[in-house]
Amino acid sequence: MTFSSFAGPFLPELLLLAGVLLIFLLDVLHVSRLEVVGGIAVVATLLALASVIADLGFAPLALLATIPARSIDAVPAAGAAPLFAFTSLGLVFQGLFLLAAFLVALASMSRPSAERGAPIFYGLLLLATLGMLLVAIASDLIFLLLAIEVVSIASYLLVAYTRKDPRGLEAAMKFFVIGALSTVLSFFGASLLFGAYGTTNLYLLRAAGTAVSYPILVLLGYAFLFAGLAFKVTLVPFHAWAVDVYDGSPDDVSAYLAGGTKKIGIFAFFLVFLGPVLAVNAVGSSGYGLFGGSVALGPSFQLALGAIAVLTMTVGNVLALLQKEMKRMLAYSSISQAGYMLIGITIGTAPAIGGATLQVLAHVLMKTGAFLVVGAVAALGVGPLISDWRGLGQRRPLLGTAFALMLLSLAGVPLTIGFASKFVLFSAAVAAQGWFVWLAVAGLLNSALSVFYYARVLRVMFFDAPPAADPALAGAVVGGAGPPALPVGGLGWGRAVTIALIAVLIVALGVYPQVVLGPIQSAAYHFVSLGA
Amino acid sequence: MLPWLSIILATLAVGTVATFAAGARARWVALATSAIFLAEVGLLLASYPGWPGYSGSLVPGFSDTETYSWISIAWMHVDYAVGVDGISLVFILLTAVLQIATVVYSWGESQRPGAYFGLVTLTCLGCFGVFVSLDILLFFLFWEAVLVPMFFLIGYWGGPNRRYAALKFFVYTHVASIVMLVGLLALVFYSGATSFDFSSVYAAARGLAPVVQTFLFLALFFGFAVKFPIVPFHTWLPDAHVEAPTGGSVLLAGLLLKLGGYGLIRWAVEVLPSGLHSVQPLLFVIAFLTIIWGSVLSLAQRDLKRLVAYSSINHMGIVLLAIALDSSLGLLAAVLLMFAHGIVSALLFMASGSVHHQYGTRDIASLGGITPSAPALSTMLMAGSLASLGLPALIGFPAEFSAFLATWNGLGYWVLIPLVVLVVTAAFYLWMMQRVLFGAKKGVPADAHDLPWYESTGMGLLVALTVLFGILPSLLVNVIVNSPIKGWPGT
Repeated sequence: MTFSSFAGPFLPELLLLAGVLLIFLLDVLHVSRLEVVGGIAVVATLLALASVIADLGFAPLALLATIPARSIDAVPAAGAAPLFAFTSLGLVFQGLFLLAAFLVALASMSRPSAERGAPIFYGLLLLATLGMLLVAIASDLIFLLLAIEVVSIASYLLVAYTRKDPRGLEAAMKFFVIGALSTVLSFFGASLLFGAYGTTNLYLLRAAGTAVSYPILVLLGYAFLFAGLAFKVTLVPFHAWAVDVYDGSPDDVSAYLAGGTKKIGIFAFFLVFLGPVLAVNAVGSSGYGLFGGSVALGPSFQLALGAIAVLTMTVGNVLALLQKEMKRMLAYSSISQAGYMLIGITIGTAPAIGGATLQVLAHVLMKTGAFLVVGAVAALGVGPLISDWRGLGQRRPLLGTAFALMLLSLAGVPLTIGFASKFVLFSAAVAAQGWFVWLAVAGLLNSALSVFYYARVLRVMFFDAPPAADPALAGAVVGGAGPPALPVGGLGWGRAVTIALIAVLIVALGVYPQVVLGPIQSAAYHFVSLGA
Repeated sequence: MLPWLSIILATLAVGTVATFAAGARARWVALATSAIFLAEVGLLLASYPGWPGYSGSLVPGFSDTETYSWISIAWMHVDYAVGVDGISLVFILLTAVLQIATVVYSWGESQRPGAYFGLVTLTCLGCFGVFVSLDILLFFLFWEAVLVPMFFLIGYWGGPNRRYAALKFFVYTHVASIVMLVGLLALVFYSGATSFDFSSVYAAARGLAPVVQTFLFLALFFGFAVKFPIVPFHTWLPDAHVEAPTGGSVLLAGLLLKLGGYGLIRWAVEVLPSGLHSVQPLLFVIAFLTIIWGSVLSLAQRDLKRLVAYSSINHMGIVLLAIALDSSLGLLAAVLLMFAHGIVSALLFMASGSVHHQYGTRDIASLGGITPSAPALSTMLMAGSLASLGLPALIGFPAEFSAFLATWNGLGYWVLIPLVVLVVTAAFYLWMMQRVLFGAKKGVPADAHDLPWYESTGMGLLVALTVLFGILPSLLVNVIVNSPIKGWPGT
């Protein structure tokens, strides 16, 4: 007997829901021990992750598979307008979301156990993840936007869950106001599209791409939807909120916002904009307007996406270059990474979508890991400025090496997952030929630019002498000669294990990306060919 | 047949890790690694199936090839593919020789020896990888892998301005690699090659239109040119050399500069013949500029190391000229020149490093008459300088002679430009020697002593090779030209 007989195809979602309810119920019963609550979250996300991987066809876990293979990537019957549908690319994204949630949940096992709020943190974490899983199976615009809303509301609360930190509260307020605006824009756009097409089903929208009677509604609808979703993905010029929010949030929450929840926007972009892009590709660069001819969207639509991708990469990198605080630098670099992912959507071919998805995976690992290291280092008493990290790599070689690996991966240095993903993505851009080659050039030049600020951190960490009165190193000075080994106890085992796991994955998947690239690429092919 | 190249790669990889882990005993581990490496390269050379007689063609055929699938998805096939031909073998020999010479020379390194010798070994691993890669991704990967250890070598063990120099080195060469990568990707996808393998790219590129080949060639050339380096992308080199520790300078001049030339030959000249043909005039202009500018600048230097650095630029200009000639003799000359320059510039950098150790300065004007107190050091410096200016019976001579002969064959009287420049540089080197080695005693402390044993051993090895290959250049030439061409697509 498999689980499908009582969980239906929704085992991952139900596991998370059960986790949320159990955590909040235990909280009411005054069971709020970190080990219990955190344990529930870790187990729930891990089981859900296993189930998703099983659904993707990984035979050893077949027991946990709950979705019949035939309903994955199934083209809906003519005229049918399902609210949700299982695509293999959606399942891949579910896996990525669950991976991010699992990593953050595991790392957070190292929170100070006296600190209150563990049930709230873990409950909201699971709730946000539940919303993200729903995003990944959406096939209707309203379903999609509501699922995004579940994520958003849970993450507003996550940012401010400590309640005492004024920076967190300010960040939550900003996040909420911007988030509300983004929701309004998205729903307005959706309503305009409904006016034009008479449906909000994404399959039908995709199929109806070129036949429409009110082109201006379509133009405005997609424009508003783009703006609304662009806030989520932190595309320039809709990025300004992100840095303050990542900076003001508790470190584990920053890790989840940058490494996890942001990616729903990417998948939403896939769902909403791939149709128009494909239509442009089908018409070709010499074609007419995309929507009925009177609105000259056509190739200029793709050009606009490409311009925003380049703008996002460049602005994010240049601003990251100017930052003095570690967390803000990482936040800006996270913005620039969103630009790389947008390249994939701009091109819209299966290789490019696959490359962008691999980039999402890379970003989940690198950004989650980097923010977790920042949290761990802050917990050691090191200040927020980059210059406060002087000599850290010499005194704590393991932690320093792990962070160096993450930065090198972000910079796209070979043998890391960050290189593999950029390599595939830019290869896809070159393979698409035409002006897409320039996207690859822009992306590569940007990754060269980013080397500046990552190398600067490496220099500070490894070449500069540590400050004399560094509280984190006080023990070392007392301890006598020589740099001390990494005291794992100082990090907490949860953080130590998670950071080590991420570092290993960054290198292992960088050396042999085929493991993930194979499934991702075939998922991308199915996804692109779905309603084509 | 044993997978020799993978075995050597594994040797170097294990050696690197062991050296890093060995701490204070790292020099022994590094020495053992480089000795095994050298022995393996010797076996590789001995088993190389050279054909008797000059085949007349420099189109390569590869031996000891290995191919394993690495990334295989619908639209992209990347392999772990390695193999050697005569050209790469010469560079592999250079790598092995310079590694052991550097390790021995740096025996006295006391600052974090584990990391220092580990990074030296890692650099050589990267260079070896570049020379044996027959897949674009693998090639690029090793190419970039060389960057990181050199960045750390300069940045941690370097001179006073090392941070600036390390960052400048990293950024210049990294940007160049990126342009090269775009060129390589375009090469694959525009030619419709079925995989990233050299053989499939080589075969597919034949079908490219000349104008496409030209653009691709330019993109690749830019990437390789910065490593070369050629004017005007050379400014990272003097900075990096002056600040780098001696071992770093040796690897930088001896090996890293050769990556540019090797890459140009392997991935641009061989693959894109029409591209080379159409940019030939441009390459000639750049080569002449580099030759002249490098030597003019070297005349203006007061620092011994800067002098060697700028004369390196001058030499690499001759290499570019020889490659651009697009003739068999030119290609042969280019490879010989690079090998010679690898040995000789390493020797000169070691000698000027030793001068710095002994006398605390490298300023030519403030040194004089060091021969009586340091005969060994003087001998090494003199041998290096004489080889560099092309004295017969030393390795520089056959290389430069064949380069000038090829230039005469291809360009006629234009050969006078590099010849005149060579004469001027030679005069300058002689003048330098006269002042530093033989003049009135100046800047020599009373307790001056000669080289420690490890420095003289390291340099002695290179001097011996300078003489050996100077007298018997045929040892190298036979390896370079006797490439088996059977089984080669497109021939």
